[in-house]
Amino acid sequence: MSRPTLPGSIAVLLIAAAALLSGAAAGAAPAPIAIAIHGGAGVIEPAKMSAAREASYRAGLAAALDAGYDVLERGGTSLDAVTAAVRLMEDDPQFNAGRGAVLNHDGDAELDAAIMDGAGPRAGAVAGIRHVKNPIELARLVMEKSPHVLLIAEGAEDFALEQGMVLVPRSYFRTEAREHELEEARRAEKARAAGTPTTQVLAGRGASMGTVGAVALDRAGNLAAATSTGGLTNKHRGRVGDTPLIGAGTYASNESCAVSGTGAGEYFIRQVVAYDVCAGMHYRRLTLAQAVHEVVQVKLRHTGGEGGVIALDRAGNIVMDFNSVGMFRGARDSSGRREIAMYRDAAEH
Amino acid sequence: MYAIAIHGGAGAVPRATLSPERDRRYREGLEAALDGGYAVLEAGGTSLDAVATAVRLLEDHPSFNAGHGAALTRDGAVELDAAIMDGRQLRAGAVASVRHVKNPIELARRVMEKSRHVLLVGAGAEEFALEEHFTLVPNHYFRTAERLEQLESEQRGERVSDLVPPAPHGTVGAVACDSRGDLAAATSTGGMTNKRPGRVGDSPIIGAGTYAKNGVCAVSATGHGEYFIRVVAAHHVCAAVEYRGLTLTQAVHELLHQILRGLGGDGGLIAIDREGRIVMDFSTEGMFRGARTAAGHREIAIY
Repeated sequence: MSRPTLPGSIAVLLIAAAALLSGAAAGAAPAPIAIAIHGGAGVIEPAKMSAAREASYRAGLAAALDAGYDVLERGGTSLDAVTAAVRLMEDDPQFNAGRGAVLNHDGDAELDAAIMDGAGPRAGAVAGIRHVKNPIELARLVMEKSPHVLLIAEGAEDFALEQGMVLVPRSYFRTEAREHELEEARRAEKARAAGTPTTQVLAGRGASMGTVGAVALDRAGNLAAATSTGGLTNKHRGRVGDTPLIGAGTYASNESCAVSGTGAGEYFIRQVVAYDVCAGMHYRRLTLAQAVHEVVQVKLRHTGGEGGVIALDRAGNIVMDFNSVGMFRGARDSSGRREIAMYRDAAEH
Repeated sequence: MYAIAIHGGAGAVPRATLSPERDRRYREGLEAALDGGYAVLEAGGTSLDAVATAVRLLEDHPSFNAGHGAALTRDGAVELDAAIMDGRQLRAGAVASVRHVKNPIELARRVMEKSRHVLLVGAGAEEFALEEHFTLVPNHYFRTAERLEQLESEQRGERVSDLVPPAPHGTVGAVACDSRGDLAAATSTGGMTNKRPGRVGDSPIIGAGTYAKNGVCAVSATGHGEYFIRVVAAHHVCAAVEYRGLTLTQAVHELLHQILRGLGGDGGLIAIDREGRIVMDFSTEGMFRGARTAAGHREIAIY
């Protein structure tokens, strides 16, 4: 058992070869930088989206994308880039994270977030947060200033205070639109209990799958991933989804890729989605696109897990894939690519 | 072939500090849990029932760091985490930072079976427990004199022995394969002595401390939780078996002795595959553990 296994020695050779190749590439052209973001996946139908609303979502996504890209362009770290992008989407009430997050059964926002540094592996996460304006910043402090990875609820907020963060009242997160959604969800819940067909229930569900996330690659070749969410509308108090679970909704490793997920969190947890994408790339030598396709279009679809992921590898390849009707997303890299999209490519206009 | 393996924590177990009396108490606790879980399998029960039974017995035993006798937070309270996973359909349930539920593993199972969620935490998890007609217990039910002493010496800055008496980093867990070849895993813990309130380790995180997938393997881990989270330890073992064709022994060895050790993290884990083959490995001085199979193998070990 002390001798390296055959697959192990091949892996060492491949890593050595890859290091030589990337070294040669670095001499020829500047290393690539790239960022991708998402603002949630779910029922996003062109017919139901007014032009003004669509423009407003696009503007929100563009602001976050460009803010993250600016960090990379100035030579900043991928960790700073994903933090900047996610923080902007947390502050934007359209998205289900930070201000404007969906409300739980009791009418409160309960927020989850995670961040991971592919160079570590280092990670920080928080769950069940009710008074921290930018949960992604608290997740980052957990990573950088505590020996822990995951802190939850009051204990996490106590840590926030120790770190000098200013807490905000719960009302800061609540918006009229989310209050209305909660009322609808409660009505749907009652209808479901009374045996009404579930199509109406589904209609109420799509809007709440608006987790935000970002993945980035910096000039030093380091990958990072960050995800932040309010979870599900009308969720049970204390419910935690995939977002703050390292490996489920968020994962980054310089050995493979960076992934941020959005969708039906319980399915993402069971399939360990983000890590499984990286494992597919790292251990089965799939391309990033193949690894994402298998997890999102085969494994998740097979079990009924709706949603999508954004993923990025060290070569700067970006994959944004989903099995839901749509996914708010954006990508920008040093080859000049810059795109914002919501629907499947065919439906884009 | 049906089989079950259990663990009661991994860490430094200096033989000199483990008196014959304590040694006997640990072994008796492990035996009761092992045989309790095995009896379920022998009677034709499911692996899910077997791991739940074994873990519940370990939770009730004050020597192990789960349920009654769990490690104390820096505030002197007990905050418990647990997870269970059914390898048949990748169903899972977990709870974290529970303070008033006698057997967190039963609440985790209820989350899996009666809620649409996988993970419930804190007061919300206890609200769900009440909705499911659990009887809550006061937090001092979990506190033992030994744990209080341990917390006090840790807070005085004295080095606390890893496992004796009783284990500050211990976690309990079980993995089983039933006569149908179905796999299940369960883990339960009080976390680290003197931990910050709200700290959650790997135990209740599906993929980190607990994972089960039929046809591949079932895993329950114990050790320095933060490291196990970062490398997605339990799922890593399953992925290494499924994707790379490593044997279970190789997969566990690579994780514990190469990947985790390379990062500076130590601990142990138990794993079982669909043939009922058991691996129990650790990078620490010892791990409380036991295994029993339909082939007649039965062992309890510490070192």
